[in-house]
Amino acid sequence: MAATTESVKADAAEAPLLNKRNLIFAVALYCVFYAWVRWYEGVYGWSAGMDSFAPEFETYWMNFLYIEFVLEVSTAGILWGYLWKTRDRKVMSITPREELRRHFTHWTWLVCYGVAIYFGASYFTEQDGTWHQTIVRDTDFTPSHVIEFYLSYPVYIITGGAAFLYAKTRLPTYQQGNSIQYMVATVGPFMILPNVGLNEWGHTFWFMEELFVAPLHYGFVFFGWSALGVLGVLNIEVAALAKLLKKDLA
Amino acid sequence: MSASQSAVRSRAEAVKVSRTFDWLICFTLFFVILGGYHVHFMLVAGDWDFWSDWKDRRLWVTVLPIMGITFPAAVQAVLWWRYRIAFGATLCVLGLLFGEWVNRYFNFWGWTYFPINFVFPSQLIPGAIVLDVVLLLSNSMQLTAVVGGLGFGLLFYPGNWPMMAPLHLPVEYNGMMMTLADLSGYHYVRTGMPEYIRMVEKGTLRTFGKDVAPVSAFFSGFVSIIVYFVWHFFGRWFGNTAFTKGS
Repeated sequence: MAATTESVKADAAEAPLLNKRNLIFAVALYCVFYAWVRWYEGVYGWSAGMDSFAPEFETYWMNFLYIEFVLEVSTAGILWGYLWKTRDRKVMSITPREELRRHFTHWTWLVCYGVAIYFGASYFTEQDGTWHQTIVRDTDFTPSHVIEFYLSYPVYIITGGAAFLYAKTRLPTYQQGNSIQYMVATVGPFMILPNVGLNEWGHTFWFMEELFVAPLHYGFVFFGWSALGVLGVLNIEVAALAKLLKKDLA
Repeated sequence: MSASQSAVRSRAEAVKVSRTFDWLICFTLFFVILGGYHVHFMLVAGDWDFWSDWKDRRLWVTVLPIMGITFPAAVQAVLWWRYRIAFGATLCVLGLLFGEWVNRYFNFWGWTYFPINFVFPSQLIPGAIVLDVVLLLSNSMQLTAVVGGLGFGLLFYPGNWPMMAPLHLPVEYNGMMMTLADLSGYHYVRTGMPEYIRMVEKGTLRTFGKDVAPVSAFFSGFVSIIVYFVWHFFGRWFGNTAFTKGS
């Protein structure tokens, strides 16, 4: 019990409802990190990413892949483990103001999820189209895939998992069970990563070219739809916030 | 928690908190929907959207509105039917275009060096505005599906015409007749996407000569109506607030 968070700390009332510094720092962190990643792609994609049998490919791309695997597993383990370990065991007895503060923190996580989803599903996925329609692939671990599948997707999975865990462990709204649409909005996009197995099998087995509308890619489409689960989360949150603010806004 | 306690200290603070949440919600919705819509759109219609030599009078006109009306219908089903917010379709399309333009600039041009006038995205805003306006004025899902959906399909080609017209001009090159868009495609070779998988001007619609694009647009509008209905109910399902039973 020692590691769990006590419901109401003495100084909690004095903390700001929304920690804007954390919000801005988190969004900036994703943007600066991905700007660096995009710079790395630009420099080492053409110079070291064309031939997977070349020594420089091992140096600049396979080592990048190994390092990101280790960092992602470590980050997920530490972050998710921390959120679970420090869960509030008296979550149903927190004050309304503390609950409001936690909703703000929860939305900070959801904003981060939005940014991470954007970079993963939009920026690096369409980027994959232009790279593979231009370059002939000779490996599953192309420069585009090392970033798209094995970096940007795990990053949004880790972020989405953290948002879900935060809500589940700290907000009374989510104690009645598991929100189906919250699970859809986090597990669905997660399933895009295992679907990479189908993608790589198909591209290796029978289709080395890149046609983005090929049926081989429809698994990504199906799981991409699940992002709409955020609409259910929105409805749950609006109802919870209305309950907290209604009499003051009336 | 005590029902008598208040989460805020004044009405002014309650208003400020409410407005702050509005901004956080708008930002998150925009980017999460953008991500889902973009990955859907690029993988069911993307090739016609990526390259100007794919933007033909048949499949481009047919496929893009049908695949494009999906997320707007679903998002409208929540934003209008629960909150009376009348810009669900436009929000989706602006998100999609944001994702596409950033990509075409930084990646199609910035990483693989295709000129922007070969890789610009298709225009969907006129159709989205019509969807939102019909819903706003009629407050009817059926009318939005039929009138808005048909308009979404019919407006696609004329909405893109100002950008595409110069690229559809005929040109003779080495004794062959082609469009300027085709010529761009021959000069900017995409090794990973060879000519034999390009789905452009397939079929016998050309038999009707000048009517190819209008017939395609009309067919697209018809299917868009049906797709709107289906995705409206998808949107309702995604908007549900059900929980699994707790232990």
